[in-house]
Amino acid sequence: MHIAPGFLSPPVWGTMVAVSGAAVAGSLVVARRHLDERRVPLMGVMGAFVFAAQMVNFPILPGTSGHLGGGFLLGILLGAPLGIISMVCILAVQSLVYQDGGLEALGANIFTMGVLPCLLGAAARRLWLRPQPGAVAYGLSLAGGILAVIAGATVVILLLWWSESLPQTVSLIQAIGVMDSIHLAIGVVEGVVSVAVIRFVLAARREAVIGVEDRISSEETIA
Amino acid sequence: MTAYDRRTLIVGMAIAAVIAGGVSYFASSAPDGLEKFQEDRGAAEPVHQGASAPAVVFEEYNFKWLGEGFWANAVAGVFGVLIVLTILLLAGYVLRRRRPPVPRGRTVGS
Repeated sequence: MHIAPGFLSPPVWGTMVAVSGAAVAGSLVVARRHLDERRVPLMGVMGAFVFAAQMVNFPILPGTSGHLGGGFLLGILLGAPLGIISMVCILAVQSLVYQDGGLEALGANIFTMGVLPCLLGAAARRLWLRPQPGAVAYGLSLAGGILAVIAGATVVILLLWWSESLPQTVSLIQAIGVMDSIHLAIGVVEGVVSVAVIRFVLAARREAVIGVEDRISSEETIA
Repeated sequence: MTAYDRRTLIVGMAIAAVIAGGVSYFASSAPDGLEKFQEDRGAAEPVHQGASAPAVVFEEYNFKWLGEGFWANAVAGVFGVLIVLTILLLAGYVLRRRRPPVPRGRTVGS
């Protein structure tokens, strides 16, 4: 879903650089204040995992593939600030080293695949910090994973529309319909894989997932 | 870094390296959802000025000196996961707070 070079007009990519820049700055400020050093190895490993997962395009329809976004997963496991920082690193490396995504589109790509899904993941995070995450956590996370991909895809279309890069032959609504229906299928895979990885990581490294903030609030609930 | 952290790193990076360096070679080469949409509707050509980073060492996900194929992709994938890990570990250790706060005299963790 990386926007390639030349599809966004200067006002659009400029706006997205500003929006994502603000989100990244906010994430760095929060991380500076709260980042528990015991979570750093997990952040590094999960970032590397999402980079790897994004390289694996799976077939969706004849002639169409999709790949994981991973932002939703990182939002759940790391929280929004660390998730966003990780996605920035992944997307910047993809763009700068592997020519995946336009340089000027980096802000837009960080927003659609980083900021947006990480915030949705962070909203679902509480479900998984419970002692026994159950059917509600599964169901809502699957739905959230789908929603995160569809929300990102919809914003991509809106940015292309604003840049007058949409095909002449389709209306905005049709374009969103086509894009969202492809990404519904990709989103199902995103949701299923996210839940599987969350379960694996929680079973292996639960204490690295829970941050200081979470620990303080749960301590206060107990006290 | 504790032995526990080292195990997280070794197991996690082994999984990431296998996916990026091996599995990804067998991935679908069909256009992704966005590219397919743009191609089908005849809007696959950029209409604005844009820029890609220069292909210095990697030509997309292929290590240039090896051309294309399994090993070119494997070098690109393994390098990618290592560089992402390195940047995030450095960022994490710069940003971290060294000792988690101990709320109201309680001992948290060990």
